[in-house]
Order: sequence, then C-alpha cells, then structure tokens
Amino acid sequence: MQLELVTGVLLDHDGAPVCFSWRDRSYTVCSRPVRWYSRRLWWQEASAAPKGVGAELVEIEMWRLWAVSETDRVFFELTHKMPEDQWEIAKGS
Amino acid sequence: MPFAHLNVSSAYSAHYGVTRPEALASGASAMGFEALAITDRDGLYGAVKHIGACIKSGIYPIVGVSLEVISKDASLGRVVILAHGHDRGAGWSALCRTISKAWQNPGRNKRVAIKLEDLAEITQARQSSCTILLGPESTLAKTVLVNTGAAQEILELWKSAFDSSGSLAIELVNQLTEPGSIASEEHAKAMHDIAKANNLPAVLTNAVRYLSPDDALTADVLDSARHLEPLGVFLPQPNAQAWLKPDNQMAQLALEITQSAKMSLELISNTASLAKRCYLDPVSDCGWGQPKTPEQSALGITDNPFEVLWQKAHAAIDWRYPRAKAAELAQIQHRLSKELIAINQLGFATYFLTVADVAQMIRDMRVRIAARGSGAGSLTNYLLGISGVDPISEGLLFERFLSTERSTLPDIDIDVESARRHDIYRNIFRRYGGERVTLLSMQSTYRGRGAVRDSGMALGLEEDQIDQIAKSMWRFSARNFRAELSEKPELGNFALQAENDRKLNLLIDITQRLDRLPRHISMHPCGVILGNSNLLNLTPTEPSGLGLPMSQFDKDDMDPMGFLKLDVLGVRMQSAMAYTIRQISKTKKEELDLDAIPKDDPDVFKMIRTTNTLGIFQIESPGQRELTGKHQPTEFNDLTLQISLFRPGPMKGNMIKPYLDGRHKLIEPDYIHKDLRPILEESYGVVVFHEQLMRIMQKMTGCTLARADEMRRQLAKPDKIKKIASYFKQSAAARGYSTSVIERVWSIIEGFGSFGFCKAHGAAFALPTYQSAWLKHHYPTEFIAGLLTHDPGMYPRRLLLSEARRLGVKLLPIDVNRSSDQYEVENLAEGFGIRMAVTEISGISRPEIERILAEQPFRDISDFYTRARPSRRTLERLALIGALDSLAGIRAEANESNRGDLLVHVRQISSKPLAKQDKNQLSFDLGSLDRLPTGNQSPTKTEIIQNELSITGLDVTDHQLTEFQELLDELGVVRASELVNLRSNTEVLIAGVRVATQTPPMRSGKRVVFISLDDGTGCADATFFDEAQRRCAHLLFQNRLLLISGKTRRTGVRGVSILAENAFDLRALWLERKQKAS
Repeated sequence: MQLELVTGVLLDHDGAPVCFSWRDRSYTVCSRPVRWYSRRLWWQEASAAPKGVGAELVEIEMWRLWAVSETDRVFFELTHKMPEDQWEIAKGS
Repeated sequence: MPFAHLNVSSAYSAHYGVTRPEALASGASAMGFEALAITDRDGLYGAVKHIGACIKSGIYPIVGVSLEVISKDASLGRVVILAHGHDRGAGWSALCRTISKAWQNPGRNKRVAIKLEDLAEITQARQSSCTILLGPESTLAKTVLVNTGAAQEILELWKSAFDSSGSLAIELVNQLTEPGSIASEEHAKAMHDIAKANNLPAVLTNAVRYLSPDDALTADVLDSARHLEPLGVFLPQPNAQAWLKPDNQMAQLALEITQSAKMSLELISNTASLAKRCYLDPVSDCGWGQPKTPEQSALGITDNPFEVLWQKAHAAIDWRYPRAKAAELAQIQHRLSKELIAINQLGFATYFLTVADVAQMIRDMRVRIAARGSGAGSLTNYLLGISGVDPISEGLLFERFLSTERSTLPDIDIDVESARRHDIYRNIFRRYGGERVTLLSMQSTYRGRGAVRDSGMALGLEEDQIDQIAKSMWRFSARNFRAELSEKPELGNFALQAENDRKLNLLIDITQRLDRLPRHISMHPCGVILGNSNLLNLTPTEPSGLGLPMSQFDKDDMDPMGFLKLDVLGVRMQSAMAYTIRQISKTKKEELDLDAIPKDDPDVFKMIRTTNTLGIFQIESPGQRELTGKHQPTEFNDLTLQISLFRPGPMKGNMIKPYLDGRHKLIEPDYIHKDLRPILEESYGVVVFHEQLMRIMQKMTGCTLARADEMRRQLAKPDKIKKIASYFKQSAAARGYSTSVIERVWSIIEGFGSFGFCKAHGAAFALPTYQSAWLKHHYPTEFIAGLLTHDPGMYPRRLLLSEARRLGVKLLPIDVNRSSDQYEVENLAEGFGIRMAVTEISGISRPEIERILAEQPFRDISDFYTRARPSRRTLERLALIGALDSLAGIRAEANESNRGDLLVHVRQISSKPLAKQDKNQLSFDLGSLDRLPTGNQSPTKTEIIQNELSITGLDVTDHQLTEFQELLDELGVVRASELVNLRSNTEVLIAGVRVATQTPPMRSGKRVVFISLDDGTGCADATFFDEAQRRCAHLLFQNRLLLISGKTRRTGVRGVSILAENAFDLRALWLERKQKAS
C-alpha cells in the first residue's frame, strides 16, 4: 500500500490535529479526534537500540478522526511519525 | 487528594517488569508522588526492597500482587490484590498467605493461581484486609466490550464471593491502545460503566511495567524470553505506554475516559483513598527491623534463655580446655563473661541457643561441621560447638564478630558436608516445625552470557551463532558489551561482523539492556530462615526444587524483615574428608578423629612447601600455589596468614610483598613502637588483619575493642575519617606517644581502609586446609578417592588422576564387577588402589547404574547383558573403556583375545533384541556366543586413552600428553616438575592440558590471563599480558591442549612461573607434523 503524506497540519494545545491538507484539499476536523499508539516492529528495521530511543522504536502515534472539506466528509486514520514529525494516511475511507 | 500508582510491576516480575524497585521509588518520589505500590506477578519478590526504597525516598509504601484467580476450573484472569495497611499486619499476612496458597494449589497446567473461594476466605477472615482490583488482565475486562451480559455474570461471581465493602474495585487502564482493544480509552469507558452500574468503586492505574517509555523496548525482549519465542512470533505489547506517568498525565487520561471534570476528579479521588487505605506501616504491619527468633518452647527451654546460655557455655569449658591451668582458666572465664554480657545486652541469647541447637543436631547426625567467618572469633561459639577454632590461642577477637555498638543479628555461618546438606535442611524443618522454617531464595540476574543468549533468541538468530558469541564472552558484565568489543581481542571477530550486520549490532544494544535484571528465583545455596510461629504470616513461600517451602525473600531482605538467617553451607571438601575417613575405616580398620589431630605435624608442612597443593582446601589455586612457593609455611598460623593475604583486600592493599620480605629477612620488620611489636610480630610489621588494627587503636587510644571495630568500619567512609583521625591523634598524644609515631601509625590506619581481612575468617578456613593437607600426606589413596567422589576443587577431575600418578597412587579402571557409584579404595595383591566409579561414563542413565550395582557380580558378558540390561550404546562404551575386560577374561598381557575382539562380540550380542520375559532362554542363546571371536585388531594405547577421555573424561591408563611425547621431545619441551631447577629468564616451551584459566582483577585495570597446564608431572603456570594476549587470545579460552612459549620467572624459593610470549594449538602442531612425515 502506498503511503500518502498529509501536509499543513495544524495542532491544538493538546497536540491534536485541527486541520490539514490532503490531495490538494483542505480538511477541518469535525469529530473529537482519538489519539492512540500503534506498534512498530523494530526488530525488523532498526540497526541500533541505544538508551533513549526505545519508545520511538516501539510505538507510533495514531489519530482517528472525521474531517470535512468543502465537498466531502472523510474518516481518517493518521500516523504521526517521529522524530521526523511527518503525517501520513494510515487508512482512508 | 493526590493520585498514586496502584498497579506497578517491578523487575522482580521476572521476564515482565523492567525497572528495579529502588529506581521506581526514587522516580515516583522525584515526580512528586506521595505513595507508590509494587504489585509483582505471583509474588512479593521485590516487596521488601520496595518498602526500604520508599522509606528512603520518603513516600508511603503500598504492596500487592498480581495473581491469577480460578473459579471451578475456569480462569478469572489476573487481578491485583492490594494489602490494606495500618491494621496490625492483617493485610500483609493475608497477602502472604494468599500467595503461598496460590503456589501450593497450582491450577491446571501447573500455573500459579488461587481459587476464588480461598482468596475470599483468606482476605476476609476477620475483616476485609485486602482490595482486589479487577483490571485489564481479568476475564471481566476481556469480556466487557464483547458481551456485556457475560461480563455482568462474571462480576456477579466476584460480588457474591466478596460481600464486605471495599474488597472489590474496578481498575480502569487507558494505555491509548487501538480504540476498541483492551486498555484503550473505549475499553476503560466500558469498565467505568460496569463499575457504575454495579455501584463498585472505580480506580485508575496505568498497569506500569517500566519507569520510562524508553524501557518499553527492553520489555519487548523480556516478553520474548517469557514466551521462549523470537519477537514477531507472539503477540507483542500494544505500545510503549505502560510507564510510570506523572499525575498530570494520569489526570488527563481520567478526563479522556470520563469526559467529565467531576467524574474524572472522582476517579482520581477514589484511587487516592484506596491508596491511603493501603499505606503500609512497615513496623506494625510487616515487623520491619524487629529480630524474630524461635520461641523458647521450640528450643525446649523453660528457663530464662540467658541463664541457659550461661550454663551451657560454662559447662563446656572442661570439654574444650581439659588441661587448662588456673591462670588460663581465669582468662577464659573473664573473656566468656565479657562475651555473655554483650550477648545479653543485645538480647541475642535465644539466637545463640538456636544456632547451638542446630549445630548439636548436625553433630548428632554425624555430619562434619565447621564455622566460617567472623563467628570463629567468639569463645561462646567455640564452647557451644558452633566453631572448631580456639579463638584464644589464635588471637581472635569477639568484638569483630559482635559488638554492642551494632544491633543487627550477627551472621553465624556453618559449613557442613555438601552431600548431607539436604538431610540437614529436612531435619531443621522437622525439629522446629514447618510454621517456623523456610528456605531462603536467591534471584539470579542476567549476566553476559545469559543476556546475549536471550537477546539472540529474541532477534531470531541461529542457535549456533548465539552459542559462538556467548562462548567468547569471558567474564564481563553485559552492560559493558559495546565498550568491551574494542578491548577484548577474543571479541575482535564478532566486532567486525557487527559493523556490517544490522541484527548483530542490535544484539549488542539489547544485551546491554538486559544486564542485571532478575531472571529467575531459585533456592539459595545455604540459607535457612528460622523464625517464630508467626513466620508464614510475614513471608510468602513457594516450593523449592528440593520440595521444601522457600521464602520469596532473598538474603538482602533478611535484616530489614528481622529474620534470622542461618547459613548452612554445603562444602564439598567436608564431604570429601568425611568420605576419606570412612574409606580409611573400611580398608585400614582405623577410626580417625580428624578434629583431634595435632596441628603441628612438620611432615604436613613439608609437603605443603613443595607446592604440590592440589586437592588441599583453599590453597590449590594457581595463585595460592605460587604464593605457597614464596611463603613456605611452617605452622598453622602461617596458613591463616596465607589464606588471608590471598584475598582481594590485602592484595589491593599491596600487603603480600612487604610481608614476604619481612618473613624472609630481606628487610628488617618495622614495628614503629615497642607497644605494637606484640600485635604485629606475626606478620612482620604489616597490618593484615582487622583484629590487629583494632588492637592498635585500643593500645594507643585506650578505647574499647568494640569502639575500635566501629571506627575500623567507618574508615571506608571518607566523611568519617576526619573525626576518627582527630580522636586517634588526641587520645594517643594524651597517652604519651610521640607525634612522629602517631603520624606514622595514622598513615597506616588511614591507608588500611577496607584492605585488611578478618583473621577469624582466615583461621576458620585454615582448619580444613590443614586437615585436608594432613589427610593428603598420611592417607593419599583414600584422600584422592574422596576428592574424586566429591569433586571439591576448582580443577577438572582428570587433573586429580595426574596428581595420583605423581604420588604413586594406583588407578584402577572401571570394571562392571567392581566399580560402584563412588571411587572406592581397593586392597589388591599389589597394594591399595582407587577403583574408578561407573558414574563417569557419559550417557549412562541412573537406572542403568542402579541395575549394575544391584546385580553385581556378573558371570560373563551375556550374564551382564541380560541382568544389567544396559542400552546398546552404554554396553559398547563399557567395552571400549575396558570395563568388560574382566568379564571377557582379557588381561593386559594376554594375547589370545583382545579388546578389538570383545567389541565385535558385544556388537553381535546387542544386535539381538532383549526379550524380558525369557531371560534364561536368552542367556542360553547368548551363552553360545560367549567365545570371543578372534583376529580383530587391538586398539592402540593412544586409541584407548582417546576412548577413555571421550567416554569418561578421565585418562586412567596414562596421561593424555604421552600421545605427543615424540613431538614434545623434538621441540625440547620442559616438564612442569623441571621448571623449579631453571634459572630465571630462561627461554622455555611448556605443554599440557589447560586446567585453569583466570583473569583476576588487577590494580592497573588491565586484564592479565593466567593459564595452568597439566603435563602429568605437576602444574605449570603461565601469565599472558596485553601483547601476548593479542597474539593468541582466541586459543586461551577455548583450546584444551596448548603449547606455550615464554621465559621463566622465579618468584620465590620454590616459585616459578612462565611469562608467556605466545601459545599454540598442540594438536594442530602434531597433525601438521604427522602430515609432513607422511
């Protein structure tokens, strides 16, 4: 599955997304976004695990939310990758 | 009210929790928490350390356990059971008893679990003494999102068992897992709803597994070790959220679950008030720090214990000092009174009576017993028969052992025959009752090799590869793995590979993370806890490997819990000596009382001085052998000195050289002042013993010995030294010592620090040292039989065969008609010899051994085959090593039939299936085969020795080096016994079997490798420094047969060692030579 980037993400003071752009459209979050953390299979990808990077290797931040653009209302599952601070679509519908 | 974490697994939840209790408590305190719980899985392994750490950090300790509960064979999952506090121990003891019960009644699959009705009964016996948290690992939690009706049914089960209020609570956990899964926000909400619907309190936890998020990765590796499967094969933890979150984050989680400020505050306040109910008072709940000894009735005393002790000790004076004159008696009486007054002042009379009672019980079992440690400094111990060393004649001090300035129970350690240790434990249980006794446990922790093995398994590396890496890890802790890669030549290969291999590089990091984490609990090798009838309310127990119950607390938990720990250590040398004495009685009909032999036999010391100390207690190691060569002991006290000097402290304190120089009159001993001469004369002016330092302080300042020992203990603490210095200098000056004397003595005291050794400990060890030397000299055959049977030493058994040959002791090969499961001394026409035991054959099973012993003697081979019923492999192995020779009528000198024929014969016989029902018929059939075939090739001597080595590990026929004799002669290799005749700095080659490798800590910090080679004439010791290690480190830890080049270095009268330059694989050289020749 090709991962798609989400850009221009604005956050509220709790770190939850408020609006973002996807496929050249702007979306505004219209539900209470639910943050959760998924797993990473670090033993398949990492080449080092020194003290301090454990959490980043083990988990990844996810957001589940509904958002509206001018034309549609979409359910999003977003991935927030650290340390690069990059937002991606994990699952769209 | 402030939040507190009520569900926290420490590293003592083996293969689950990551952080040690001390770190959790100080972390919690740094975050501003007022209390912290520890709720380890299946036990209170970390509880005492947790309480201690909480006291230190100034927070309230809470203790619970995570335990599986079952109801009518159905699991209710894991729940957390928290003990209530400030209820005079009701909560703590209910918790202990619940855990012990869960371990006694394992449910299906031998899992540790408690029945619901047992849990309800124990925790609600008189009052509600515990609260049960139904949390994310309970079946309730697993059902609640799937089937609300079923969840309600499960909850009804709990509610009907726990009717008293406050016994049950619903535990909400929001670890931000995927919505809809366990420990997600949605799940926590559902748990909250069911709590409200049932009018049960809901509390919030984070089901903590580690202190900080970084440790989640370590938790993954531990999960793999628990599942015994590589990562990726089992379902891993959902994310890295199970850390000890600060209270603002917990409040935020509460808000997210409840979506209501009011309800979230209520959730936090519920949690806080449950926490408060569980604050433990260490003293009134757990008996913290209060010594507990068996009741008088359990010891069989009705009178005042001190009076009983006084009478017992005085009554023994005649026994221990039968020939004492009036002046000596007065001295004994005076010292005894002083000791008894101190014991009484500390309230330890019962303690001494208990230990004396155990010692008497052991002697009544006719088991050898000796004291170890500072306890030998007590005349009371000597008179009570706890110790066998006379403290007065050896100059040992009671105050080093026990002082009124300290109030912790002293350690009295007892050495017994290792082979009888378990019998002794069982008798202690019988004598004092199961309610007062448990064994002590021990936590083994991850070290280098274990850590790399489990890490390698987690990453799914090949077993062979892990094995190879583990084998190259030689004595360093895992946490330094990466740093050691560049330091240790033998890791060079691996370091190179790791640079290019992602997984190997990862392996290094995760191995480091595992270091020092507890792995599993096992029986402590010597500890027994003796308490009063309340013991099982204070410690949970679980079954040990021995079957007897074992406390979940370890030795560090004893002092805080006020438990009396008795160290009954099994010492193989005591077993070997007891066996020797029995063999002497059997073959020579002499009854020997080893404890009554004179301690000044000049021949024994003469033998020790040759440095052939192999098999002698404490002085057989390569280092001690070298020291023996330099030291040349002539009397018992010399042994005490030698044992004490060869210890890390005195070695680091650089005491050995000035002592030896003084002894050999190379320097004039400097006693500084005539008053100190009597104290320091035995060690030529060097302060070696704690006791000497105490006497110096007493002499020069006039303080008591007890005070002197207190000051000695404080010398290691930099902040105390100043105070001691000013006290010492002022008091000594007031007693008229000159400034120069005071300054010089002080500089010695200050430098002494923690370097010295306790003389009582050295003297306690010197006794079995002397006794074993005495036996080796007077009864070498019986003694070596004892050593072979009980294997007390540090070397491989086959080195004892070398030593036996050197002493002219005859070695008799395994013979199925004569061998037993021990090494028996046999009286043959040509003299006494040692018959090898049948147990050494690799792969032989216990039932095979038992059948052989039960059915002996055998008529012939077919008789042996039908009655002893060995496996085909065992039968063949017996034939190969000559154990069937006597049955087949083979004698070494006979030509007509040989072992080659025998082997063919044995193979013929065992190719027929053995029909059990018709032994006679078979025996008859086989009988027809009983004439050996002839003409098969006879094995060569080399082949015979190779067979012996590969099957029994013992080259009985001849030393294995004889195979290489031609090569050795060609190369001009020097024998170990000839080294002593060479000048210093002679270039030599030595060869032999590697029997010891040591890398002791060096003052410089650089690693030095000591290798000992056995060539049949004795041991040669070689030292490898940095440069030499770089040439051949890969050989030093793995190869058995070595050729070493180097220069001799004379170290003393009879001391020689080799300064190694290089090492070679002897077998490889030999093969090379053979190839060239052909």
